[in-house]
Order: sequence, then structure tokens, then C-alpha cells
Amino acid sequence: MKKNYQVCSRCVMDTSAADITFDEQGVCNYCTSYLKMLSEIEVSAEELEKSRHEFHAMVKAHGNGKPYDCIVGVSGGVDSSYALYLAVQNGLRPLAVHLDNGWDSEYSQSNIENLVRGLGVDLHTHVIDWPENRDMQCALFKSGVIDIEMIMDNAQAATNYKQALKYGLKDILSGTNTRTEGMPQAPGWTHYKFDVKNIRAIQNKFGREKIKTHPLMSTLDWIYFEYIRKVMWHNYLDYFIYNKAEAIEILKNKFQYVPYRYKHGESVFTRFYQNYILPEKFGVDKRRVHHSTLICTGQMTRSSALDDLKGNPYIESGEAADDQIYVLKKLGMTKDEFCDYMLLPPVPHQNYPSEMNMLKILSRIYKAFKRQS
Amino acid sequence: MLIPRVIPCLLLQNAGLVKTVKFKDPKYLGDPINIVKIFNDKEVDELVFLDITATVEGKHPPFELLEQVASEAFMPVGYGGGIRSLEDVKTILGLGIEKVVINSYAVENPSFISNVANFAGSQSTVVSIDVKKGIFGAYEVRTHRGTKTTGMDPVELAVRMENEGAGELILCSIDRDGTMKGYDIDLISRVAAAVNIPVVACGGSRTVHDLGAVIKQGGASAAGAGSMFVFQGPHRAVLISYPHYDELEQLLEIS
Repeated sequence: MKKNYQVCSRCVMDTSAADITFDEQGVCNYCTSYLKMLSEIEVSAEELEKSRHEFHAMVKAHGNGKPYDCIVGVSGGVDSSYALYLAVQNGLRPLAVHLDNGWDSEYSQSNIENLVRGLGVDLHTHVIDWPENRDMQCALFKSGVIDIEMIMDNAQAATNYKQALKYGLKDILSGTNTRTEGMPQAPGWTHYKFDVKNIRAIQNKFGREKIKTHPLMSTLDWIYFEYIRKVMWHNYLDYFIYNKAEAIEILKNKFQYVPYRYKHGESVFTRFYQNYILPEKFGVDKRRVHHSTLICTGQMTRSSALDDLKGNPYIESGEAADDQIYVLKKLGMTKDEFCDYMLLPPVPHQNYPSEMNMLKILSRIYKAFKRQS
Repeated sequence: MLIPRVIPCLLLQNAGLVKTVKFKDPKYLGDPINIVKIFNDKEVDELVFLDITATVEGKHPPFELLEQVASEAFMPVGYGGGIRSLEDVKTILGLGIEKVVINSYAVENPSFISNVANFAGSQSTVVSIDVKKGIFGAYEVRTHRGTKTTGMDPVELAVRMENEGAGELILCSIDRDGTMKGYDIDLISRVAAAVNIPVVACGGSRTVHDLGAVIKQGGASAAGAGSMFVFQGPHRAVLISYPHYDELEQLLEIS
């Protein structure tokens, strides 16, 4: 089943992405289409400033008479921290919203603390019920699907939208952005995050408890928030020429920000999942997409990316082993159970009921509707 | 020089962490194990866990959870809640918890404290005293999560407990609990002046200045706090924090 191994000559995507293709020069479709997308959104400095100015004016107008102008979701990571900083710099009055799912690291907590205190921003935290979350995570393990993180991503979005509705706010500013994470993941590397049907089906089959309090939002909830209640999700950093290294320097100097050695170090589980479970069980190394994105936007050289990919410092330093002990203790899983899990073949999300078909139908209706109008 | 201890006092309810206001309205804070891990990385001196429903609901201490807490914590840990026998004390210390904290049962049966002290040593025997101000301003000891009146004066009880062999007291003002309005310095200083064993003050701290005040003016040996280390800002957003070492050093150094 294995094709011949090949890595792109421009970025570092390789044949671990199932649908990768290469041209005669050995350049892959991932960076080609990403660079095309970048060129389409690329505007002059003046235009960017103009659109940024208009955006801030719009958010301020929406916030008029409200206790806050907008929501900024914060994790303690660099993207969301920088988004919060920029929002305040540009005269907005954000409410910072954090989802605590029981896996926050000390970094995450102290970064958020220094940031909200330093900026004088109010914080709201939603704490997920731990026993319920643990049961849901264990069910996802047992199901064998790749995206164990979907309940966190989903809850994060749901919490931001709910806080926006609570204060009558229209704008959610997110640290998600095109310049450092715009290259799409390969098919099968993640799952559609609003697939509540999938989450519930997996919980019904493998979980012990009913989902009672975990914040969740389905495709229809998303449509309700975005189109009926008109709460908009913005990739806020796209209004700036976002450079990650520069952002880290600014945050370090102003807010004693502590950067993580690994992407998503703010959550112990996420770093273990992304840097250990994904590569070791699913053969997926998300650093390929992240590094390729930075190569395309000139924030990393291809040779340093290749160098970095040679090893897995998270595993080699022993940190993975330490985190594994902690993760298993928290989930109440034995070492043997975990080893068995790592050896079992992956199960596609589509083997369980899913909202993907409904999403396809909805987008077909939407397109047809758009053509007619 | 030795810096006075600053101790997060954390409340347990059904194996989850909560924080109360005046001993009521517990707000959920999350999984105790993760919070221990965060406090580890923050290099906290000591932690105290109090199960607030064990005595009231007649339950045993949550041994399984305590075992996990003890295995995760780098710092000494004290536990209180539902301890009513030497058997309980043995089990808890055997799990790796350093101190047992006794509250309601110390009032019901003061000689239990000398039994615990004989068995475990005074350094591991802590009595916690919850105090509420009456309508005429007199301090009164309460038990069973503040629901049961005793008619007892806190100073009297503190002295009695010291005589029974308690090695430390945790003194908590029910009226200040979770209010972040500052410690009840008057209460703390009365008790601290009457005994020779360390008194850990609890209830009301909001800033590091409060910690300094209760130690310098109140004569407490250690400052205990809950809300201050788990909440942030006007929404009482759950966020774990702990003052920096040099900040404490500056504030608490008694010259």
C-alpha cells in the first residue's frame, strides 16, 4: 500500500499526506495551492491598513453601549495571546474567554495571568466538568478515531459563542490565521469539528456517562450563531502581517510571556496527542504542515525545517514519557490498555454517524441559492 | 532568612475542586490533580485540601483521590474532612499525605487529638477551627462546615488543642471566606497571641499585601488563601496563580 516516499522540493510536505501530488520539479500541490491562496489575499500595506481600520471601527460600533466590544478566545498560546494584545493596542475592549478542560499547563495559566493583568482585560473561564470530560476522552480513545481533540475544539468554539450571546456581542476575534497556519491539514488528519452527531454516537457506544454539561455546538448551532444571531468569527491576525517570532519577542518583553518548546504546549494532553499519539499511532506529523506554512510565508527556511523534522525532541528528551504517565493517571488508563490502543488500527470517523452528509447537502443548497440570487 | 509559608487551601467536593463564599455556594474549579500539577510548577510551599462534604454527609475521606494527590504533589500536603478514627489517620498518612487536619471531631472529642498526636507526632496533627462572628460581635467556633454552633470561644479551643498535642492550627473566618475583603486580623491576633504553635490564617485574602498584613500584624505563622490563588478579575474567572518568590520575600521579610 505504501507509495514511494517523496518530500516536496519547496516545502516539507511528504507522502504521509494521502492526496499529495508532485509536479515535474517535485513541488507539491499543498504549497502550490497555499501560495496561490496567499497571493489572492495578499494586498498592499495601505490596503491592509485600510481594511484593519475599517474592521476595528466596525467592532467598536458593534460594542457601542455594551460592556465589551468583542470576545477574544485565549489559550495561553502565542497566537491567541498576541491577538488579545493587538485588540487592546487598537483600542478595542475585549473580554478574554478561556476554556479550562483540565489539561492546562502552568505555562498556560501564568501566560494568561500576566497578559490579562498587564492589559487590564477581564477574563471569563469556563471550567469543563472533569469526570464527564474524562469519560468522553476515554470513549474517543476506544472508538479508534484520529481526532480525539474534537471535543476540546468544539467546546472552545461553543464557549466563545455563548459568551458573545450573553453580552450581546457580534465579534469573536481568534488567533487562527492564514500566515502561520493557513495550509490545510491533509484529509484524514483532523475531523470536522462541529460534528456533534459523531461525538454523541461515539459517546453512546463507548462512554459510561451521558453528556450533561460539556459545551457542544453542532453544524446547525453554528448556522444559528453566525446567520441568525449574526455573531461573526474573525481570523483577526490576518489583518496584520503576522510574524510568529516577532510576536513572541513582543509578548516576552511586555508580559513575561513564556513560549512553549512544542506547538500546543499549553495543554498537556494536546502536546502528548500531537507530538506522540499522532506520529506514533496515526503516522501523522503535523509539524510538516506547520513548518511548510512558515516556509511559504518566509518565517522558516526549508533546511531548518528538515533539520527539525529529523528527530522528535519531545520523545527523545523523555518529556513524552513523563507526560504519558500523567495522561494515563488522569484518564484512569493502565499502561497495558494504552499500549494495546497504540497498536490497534485507526478507525475512520465516518464509521460512526456523522454530520458530514448533512454538511454536504447544506453547502449544496447554499451554493444553489447563491447562484440564483 | 526563613520566609513565612503561603499556603493554598483548596476545597474538595465529590472529588472536584470548589471554592465557597462564607462556606456557601461552592463554585466548581476543576480536577484537583491538574491543579496540583500547576502548583508544583509554581513551586508552592505546601497545600491543604479540605473535603467540605465528608463530615456533613457522614462520608469517609476520599482515599483514592488522596493517593493521586500525594503521588502528584512535590510539596507537603495536609488533608482534612471526615477524619474520625486513628484508622483514617493511618490510612491517610500511609498514602503519603504529611498532615491530617481535624475540625468537627476535635470539638466533639478533644482527646482524639492527643491520640492522633501520640500516633503521628504533633508535626502531623493539625486542628482547623472555623469561626463566625455572632450578632453581638463575639467570636464563636462552628463545626460541620459552619452549620453547627458550639458556643465555644476560639481562643479557648485553640489553647485546649495545643494542650492536647496539636502541632498547628488552621484558623478560618467564615465571614471572610471567599469575600476577598482581607483577613480578620483581630481574630487571628487573639488566637496567635494565646498559643505557641503555628497558626495558619484563612479567609479573606485578596492581595499579597493581605498576606503580609496577617503575618506581620496578625502574628500568623503562615497565610492560607483560596480565592486569591484560583480566581482572576471581576468575573471570578478560574485561573491558578501564586505570588513570585521575590515578591513574597520582599513583602514578608520581617526585619
